[in-house]
Amino acid sequence: MKNKVLLVGEGPIVSDTMTFFQEKGVEVVTLEQADNAESDITAVVDVITGSVDHKREGLIQAVKMVPVDCPVFTSALYAGATRVASWLENPERVAGFSPLLLSSMDRVEISRPLQAEESLLWEQRVCWWKQWGKQVEILGDEPGLVFPRTIALMVNEAAYALREQIATAEDIDLAMKKGTNHPHGPLEWADRIGVDQVVWILKGLLEETGDPRYRPAPLLRQMVYAGRLGRSVGQGFYRYQREEKEPKP
Amino acid sequence: MDRNLPAGVLGAGTMGSGIAQVLAYSGYDVQLWDLSKEQLDQGMERIQKRLDRLREKGRLSQAEMDQIRSRIHLTPQLEDLAPCEWVIEAVVERLDIKRDLLFQLEKIVGKQTVLATNTSSLSVTSIASSTNHPERVLGLHFFNPAPVMPLVEVVSGMRTDVETVQCAVQFVRTLGKDPVKVADFPGFLVNRIARPFHLEGYRLVGEHVADRAQVDRILRSAGFKMGPFELQDMIGIDVNYAASVSVYEGFFHEPRYRPHIKQRLMVESGSLGQKTGRGHYSREE
Repeated sequence: MKNKVLLVGEGPIVSDTMTFFQEKGVEVVTLEQADNAESDITAVVDVITGSVDHKREGLIQAVKMVPVDCPVFTSALYAGATRVASWLENPERVAGFSPLLLSSMDRVEISRPLQAEESLLWEQRVCWWKQWGKQVEILGDEPGLVFPRTIALMVNEAAYALREQIATAEDIDLAMKKGTNHPHGPLEWADRIGVDQVVWILKGLLEETGDPRYRPAPLLRQMVYAGRLGRSVGQGFYRYQREEKEPKP
Repeated sequence: MDRNLPAGVLGAGTMGSGIAQVLAYSGYDVQLWDLSKEQLDQGMERIQKRLDRLREKGRLSQAEMDQIRSRIHLTPQLEDLAPCEWVIEAVVERLDIKRDLLFQLEKIVGKQTVLATNTSSLSVTSIASSTNHPERVLGLHFFNPAPVMPLVEVVSGMRTDVETVQCAVQFVRTLGKDPVKVADFPGFLVNRIARPFHLEGYRLVGEHVADRAQVDRILRSAGFKMGPFELQDMIGIDVNYAASVSVYEGFFHEPRYRPHIKQRLMVESGSLGQKTGRGHYSREE
């Protein structure tokens, strides 16, 4: 069967996701390109970021373009699979996934919504990811899954420490790399992943659990207001050289 | 940083002997102090074992090894630390003992001597305030094993002098280590920021989002050398639990640092990781 995904979302996470699928030889169409109902789409991949209402609208629009049993893989960074599934007809076609580090990780984190608890079909649909070269880790349904949740909390802690002026950003990152062997410092991670993504993960966890441990640090919120989202915009916790522009004639 | 002046280390346990080795390896003469000859001999034995291993691997010649050994002087008398320019305290992690030791030491060493504590969980400010000159007291937090781990947290107490901190940064560089400057807050940098790495792991498992092996596999796949559970098996589940409790208490029960019940149960059951043969992985699930 031909592989073709309908990719919905915006921002740098869309281009990263698109690159991943294209490298796997999967055809990618966006919502704009898919203006007619396309019956040959094998999966909807949603990496929408923003308010939950915005995500719901985007998804409802997307599923209109595809057959009613077409699997929907929804980014579970801040809205859990069960919640997303509740918006759609045929909710057992929904699975959550983590879009972070999609190209570099050999595994994909997949979460199962409550509505698909007993669905055998659900497990078959999830097998698409094996075809896309991933080992599949099936998880319970909570926002942020494993890696996004872990990294968001370390970034949050580092942001508190930075605001408290416990240490400089460089020293915080150096400490975590040299003191406990992390591949990147938390603030470097944040700049790669996107400070906005980190805040969405924290907000999702805070909303679903009500546990104050997930409160986003005020500095993170302010960085989002100020548009310091990380590498993709040239400034986050660090500044980045913009890519060289074409020399003028 | 005068390498002709000896450096002092208090405590010949794991951290103390490791720090003494680092100093001697970098060319300092070391006065290694502990209460009894027995403890000192044990400390020296630890150092010897590590040096032997380096020599076997060909990373150290016999002559170099002998030289390093000859730079380490064992003493049960604090007075022998009088000429030291740097003294690093690495005795048992108890505030009263550390305070008392620095109070005594201050009467022995010169006015310029920097007094450093290797505490990982106590307040440097409190340790410093046992002396008459807290401005020359700071934290030098080495990581275990000290001869291997490149990081040293240079911790300023409330009353530590800025110049003392600058000197300490230079001093740490002469040891071939990477210094980071950090204020005296619970857990400093590494122990504090690594808390969620461990605590969210316990929560994810407790909430049945993932099992331990999944958490470890996923985080390894994301680029970490080890996941939290295999790491705890290595460093000691009790050691990690103690760090959790200490940061939680230090921040007056801030919910971000709340330990997990499973941590305590693991420790209470005697499942401490590799050292007990039972930990997150070794027992039957």
